[in-house]
Amino acid sequence: MHRRNKWMDGSIMLVLAVAACVMLLPYIWMVVSSLKSNMEIVSGSHTVLPHQVSLEGYRTVLLDAPFGRWLMNSAVTSVVITAATLFTSALAGYIFAKHQFKGQKLLFILILATMMIPFQVVMIPTYLITAKLGLVNHLMAIVLPNLVSSYGVFLAKQFIEDIPQDLLDAARMDGAGELRLMVRIIAPLILPMLSALGIFTFMNSWNNYLWPLIILNDESKMTVPLALVYFNGTHMVNYNVVMSAAVLITLPVIVVFLIFQKQFIKGLTMTGMK
Amino acid sequence: MNHGTATSGNQAIPPQIDMQGPGKRGGRKFIYLSLAPILLLFGVFAFLPIGWSLGLSVFKYNPLSDSALFVGLDNFIRMWSDPIFLKSLWVTFKFVVIAVLINIVITLMFAAAIQRIRTGWLRNLMRTIFFLPTIAPLAGTAIVWSTMFNYNHGLFNMLLGQLHIAPIQWLSDPHYALYSVIMMTLWADIGYNIVLFIAGLDSIPDMYYEAAILDGANRWHLFRHVTLPLLRRTMLFVSVTTVVSYFQAFAQFQIMTKGEPFNETRVLALHIYEQAFSNSNMGYASAMATVFLMIILVVTLVQLKLGRTEWEY
Repeated sequence: MHRRNKWMDGSIMLVLAVAACVMLLPYIWMVVSSLKSNMEIVSGSHTVLPHQVSLEGYRTVLLDAPFGRWLMNSAVTSVVITAATLFTSALAGYIFAKHQFKGQKLLFILILATMMIPFQVVMIPTYLITAKLGLVNHLMAIVLPNLVSSYGVFLAKQFIEDIPQDLLDAARMDGAGELRLMVRIIAPLILPMLSALGIFTFMNSWNNYLWPLIILNDESKMTVPLALVYFNGTHMVNYNVVMSAAVLITLPVIVVFLIFQKQFIKGLTMTGMK
Repeated sequence: MNHGTATSGNQAIPPQIDMQGPGKRGGRKFIYLSLAPILLLFGVFAFLPIGWSLGLSVFKYNPLSDSALFVGLDNFIRMWSDPIFLKSLWVTFKFVVIAVLINIVITLMFAAAIQRIRTGWLRNLMRTIFFLPTIAPLAGTAIVWSTMFNYNHGLFNMLLGQLHIAPIQWLSDPHYALYSVIMMTLWADIGYNIVLFIAGLDSIPDMYYEAAILDGANRWHLFRHVTLPLLRRTMLFVSVTTVVSYFQAFAQFQIMTKGEPFNETRVLALHIYEQAFSNSNMGYASAMATVFLMIILVVTLVQLKLGRTEWEY
């Protein structure tokens, strides 16, 4: 590119390095705090580093709290939501892209319009509907409203529209049914989009806080983010315990991210999804 | 809204009226059978709630007594004389404007800096470090930051102590609370915009820079007249999505400050939630949600309009 100024490059790198260290600070704080002992916290001598490394916090989380249960709740609901969203989005996207029926345009616009609606607007009626269905404080309440995604349908339609009609016609000539066409021909062609949608759907439902906060109040039914906040409320003083829980929750997320990093970043820039 | 979908051009082949003959009936059946359950879900959990929410906003409704009293526009009139609502409207705008501006400036700077790194692994490492916080649950991040902001044993006051500066009530001093939450919010999600800006910068061909340098452009000229104009689509996308998501910021406020001190951090998203689920004023909360929706729609439309007229030549 253009002539590079060594001093300029050096100072930019320095600023970047300092910023990167600042970004890592909360992680270091989290790990370091989780290793403090109850005694040290109660005694009121406050230093950044623990005087003595202690695993008391981790012991309390793993033994005194239904930690495994919370992980299971989150994992099961997120997996079901992700699988269902991928399926319904691809199916609806295929129908909107390659089939015609009465009211198709209007329906698609209506579905698109719901994308613009913030959750705060629909949370009250959604709560009332879920209550009418008798699902308050039930994991089903987390899953049911999230089986379809308007953004997913929109993305799938965009990508499936680019598939040549000839290809589908040829497969139909060979006697392939619609469902078989979807699974065998369309799904492989839109795989990058599906994996991006899958990653972000999973992440959003794993991290969702507001809806579980509204609909779940039983300790054993909670999903991970809600449980962490609840746990924070009951262990206010012993922040080593809460930080241990935070470490245990963050660690797998980081590992998963490092493995799928490329797909994450590609998905984000491809779909603009958060 | 679909500026990110890079590969989906709209040059789709016009759908042909095919399937004359035996395939046609099977096609119809397939459409209705597979669309019915999907539309049912959209109907019950997307269309119905929107309509219901608008309807609820003209009622006084308490789910506990299950009595709905029609009050017309009273809820909307009441809002404009409700000091807490007005305050929360102000706080919301303050939060969104400050946080979005800082966000865009620093993400653009960091993206430009990271993009300049020539060493591949270092570049990836930097990107990873900035992106990492975005994948953690915001609720967890809020808890970790609450302990960092703690007056007695928090990290920030310990660092201030090292520098012999008096400790600060980060989350309960009305002067600092909102800025503390902004700081945490920025840490938690600048990674998205950095990645989007890096992608945007990568897509600018080098030849534009080379041509400008031949014309004697300096660094600032390059940035102002080459980078910024060519980044307009990314910029529009980033600002629209960031504004919308910051308007809806909830977890950090509900967990870290609960709207205190003196409602200095009571954003609308939190206020609506508390009115609906702590005070059971669901009618009034729905009216506020309607106003909230209108604000977001208007702000988005204005941004799209500005984005077009300002850059489209």
